Amino acid sequence: MKTQSVSEFAAQAKTGNIDLEENTHKILDKILKAENCNFFNSVSKDLALHQARELKAKIKAGKQVGRLFGVPVSVKDCICVKGVESRAGSKILEGYFPTFDATVVLKAKAEGAIIIGKTSQDEFGFGTFSTNTGLGFKAPRNPLDSERSCGGSSGGSAGITAFADFTHVSIAESTGGSIACPASFCGVAGFTPTYGLVSRFGLIDYANSLDKIGSMGKTVADSALLLETISGHDEKDSTSLNEKISFSPEASAKGMKIGVIKEFFGEGINPDVSKIAWASIKKLEKSGAKIREISLPLNAKYAIPAYYLIAMAESSTNLAKYCGMRYGAHENLSGSFNEYFSKVRSNNFGEEAKRRILLGTFARMSGFRDAYYLRAMKARTKLINEFKLAFKEFDVLVNPTMPVIAPKFFEIEKLSPIEQYAMDLCTVPSNIAGLPHISINAGFSQKMPVGIMLTAGHLKEQILFKVASVLEESQ
Amino acid sequence: MIGLECHVQLDTYSKLFCSCPTKPETEEPNSACCEICLGMPGSKPVLNKKALDYALKVALALNCKINEKFFFSRKTYFYPDMSKNFQITQYEIPIGSQGFIELSSGKKICIRRVHLEEDPAALVHESGLLSSSYCLVNYNRSGIPLIEIVTEPDMASPQEAREFLDQLTMILSYLDVFDFENGTLKADCNLSVVGNERAEIKNVTGKRNVEKALEFEAKRQLELVKQGKQIVRETRGFDEKNLSTKSLRKKETEEDYGYIFEGDLVAFELTKKKIDAIRKSLPELHSDKAKRLAKEFGISEYDAKVISGSKFLSDLFEEFAKASSAKTANFFVSGVFVSIAHYENKEPEEMAPRLNVSQLKELLALFEQNRINEKALKEAAIAHITKGKNPLDFIKENCLFKEASSGEVEKIVEKVLSANPKAVADLKAGNEKSLNFLVGLAMRESKGKAEPREIKRIIEEKTK
Ligand SMILES: [Zn+2]
Repeated sequence: MKTQSVSEFAAQAKTGNIDLEENTHKILDKILKAENCNFFNSVSKDLALHQARELKAKIKAGKQVGRLFGVPVSVKDCICVKGVESRAGSKILEGYFPTFDATVVLKAKAEGAIIIGKTSQDEFGFGTFSTNTGLGFKAPRNPLDSERSCGGSSGGSAGITAFADFTHVSIAESTGGSIACPASFCGVAGFTPTYGLVSRFGLIDYANSLDKIGSMGKTVADSALLLETISGHDEKDSTSLNEKISFSPEASAKGMKIGVIKEFFGEGINPDVSKIAWASIKKLEKSGAKIREISLPLNAKYAIPAYYLIAMAESSTNLAKYCGMRYGAHENLSGSFNEYFSKVRSNNFGEEAKRRILLGTFARMSGFRDAYYLRAMKARTKLINEFKLAFKEFDVLVNPTMPVIAPKFFEIEKLSPIEQYAMDLCTVPSNIAGLPHISINAGFSQKMPVGIMLTAGHLKEQILFKVASVLEESQ
Repeated sequence: MIGLECHVQLDTYSKLFCSCPTKPETEEPNSACCEICLGMPGSKPVLNKKALDYALKVALALNCKINEKFFFSRKTYFYPDMSKNFQITQYEIPIGSQGFIELSSGKKICIRRVHLEEDPAALVHESGLLSSSYCLVNYNRSGIPLIEIVTEPDMASPQEAREFLDQLTMILSYLDVFDFENGTLKADCNLSVVGNERAEIKNVTGKRNVEKALEFEAKRQLELVKQGKQIVRETRGFDEKNLSTKSLRKKETEEDYGYIFEGDLVAFELTKKKIDAIRKSLPELHSDKAKRLAKEFGISEYDAKVISGSKFLSDLFEEFAKASSAKTANFFVSGVFVSIAHYENKEPEEMAPRLNVSQLKELLALFEQNRINEKALKEAAIAHITKGKNPLDFIKENCLFKEASSGEVEKIVEKVLSANPKAVADLKAGNEKSLNFLVGLAMRESKGKAEPREIKRIIEEKTK
């Protein structure tokens, strides 16, 4: 049975035809029963039921408003929810109960959303498969095949979105592809907005100049509606743009100039994945889009190294604050502050976090700073310019979201860090350039979903909505 | 050669990146902080525009070139007073660069850069820095705006460094961006003897200590050079009690802070219009003011310089001059008040909270009307400033009015003397007892209001 869309559900809920308390109870039960899928790092049962009762009271009072009225919304663990343990998937944040809501959470709540819990992820977002979990956390299992990964780093968000047989959307986050990748592996819609369109206030940072909060839903419309409600200027985030998105529901690719990124259909891309992506492109052509190949040689070659240098340099400073002093994991007090900080950090960071702290610190030390960090920043400008040129000719660029279908856990274990980083080949360029992109399902290979990714120019989210809707309808 | 890195707290209402007050209502530790200045995960800084304006004012007043595009950076190092283990500061492009301050000799001390940054929290070692086995952290200070002013190594002596700082604080007082009462001025002082390595004295608080630290350090280094010994490159600390410096750590290389851009703040772009507006808003600075005061009030150039040495002093002077006369105001401000401040080892601004201006105006009015003398004015002022005494009460209680001390008492004494010729004769013959007898009579006559010492003095005068 098809689940109700978010807008249908909200409209129903407002009439009082859905008992929100009962519905929320039912959903929480389902989540708890699926505990071994590891979609959640914490389930905010009390908060959700409290909100459900409040919304019921609003209906009684005739004050039922909001585009997400009564809709269950999950939130990636790295996004602060007031009073709910928010750990970004790391043991070092054990016991951190934020005293404030992230702006996106505040906005969603104001629209009537019911926050059901914090979804699992790679520790601080450091991964592509949600397998780089913090100490004591478990990787989410793909709802289509529990031996396979959900993708990452927003793995839990994609997992629960695909798993849910109820109306639900998820607030996810992407630094280098962390929304598109798991959306692709789980077969859902993942919308990553233009950098700055959605406030980052309340986001536990991975890399500040790259982090973007976005949305996931079963459909393009669901994810777009969530994105619409959480977007907009926020004076608490200096990098937030003075822009707000509002989508007009429309499915059309007519006259659209679509560029197929040549480099992302060749070497390193699974042929089956390539084939499925091309089939989607043909559908767009049938709908009246003009298809042409385009080459992005700089992005294909330099986006990954530049991205990882910048992301690691920034994350190594973001992670400096975790030292067992003010919040999070503590150890017995002994020795000098240096010894104590080292002990807390040694005992509570996972392996990938430690790797990135070391590499990131190295890349910004004097003597190496010019060769690595500053060079990567300069490269980034060139990568953005390559996109700008491309968008003079095209409305949308297209590529398979991931080079492969969701891998099995034992396959991931065999990959070296470098091989893992290379998996982000197709998602990193749009992310390093801060461009809006959406990943939706394009078909199946070995019964597993294959995602296709559409990228548009800065603040052109509406174009993505239109084109992605065409593909969705043709499924 | 001496170069200074001065850190000055800016007197804004709220902190640099959050809305917490810089001066909380209570002294309670950790009462004025929020998720931002505590560096809680998820929080983000937002620049206080007022602090930026203040920093621009300082940079302009220090004759700096303003960088229209600038940004903030993260300076990373682990220390318990750092809420995020990185400090948000400026690295590549500061707000201002290439400025100078001109000393009275005409020599220009070049300023390399002026930048804006956040103050770390305060560490409290309850039982002393060395003996405490733990330390407490007070985040009320965390995030207070600081400007760092870095000079070139242009100063040739501790005295020049002191004059530089005097000029700097003068400018700060005129710009009204520094709270002399609660704010702190700290400096890292670099000193080297030409041809030798330099030593840095870290974190010296206050102008006087900077001068003392440099005096000690200059002597120490010159002595080493004289003995043919090598000066090692090191970081030293200043001991305020012994007025000496001691080695903290050797410094083979520059510290490596791994600076990166602060991605939570955007790059700032100032318009020419904005810079011009700030330039126009700069108040009359001290050199212009000194000239104006000398001309307008007819006081000596020297006094005008002393008075315009701080905005506080000159404002005080102008207020008193309006209420009484320029002469009286000048006598009080540059003669009395400045010397009390000097005696107390305080900047005039620091004495501000002790002054009750309206009470002092009454005191100056008495002086103006010739009802009290200079000595009485000084004594009353000292009692007011050091003990919080109402100066008028002080004058009354100590009978310092001219009429009480000379006029009336003199009449009483004359009356007593002419009524007791025998006692006067005895006194003239050297009988001390008759002096006490006459004083007693005069006291009775004045109904106890006159002072025995005063009576004694007048009798002695009249019977010589
Ligand atoms: Zn604060």
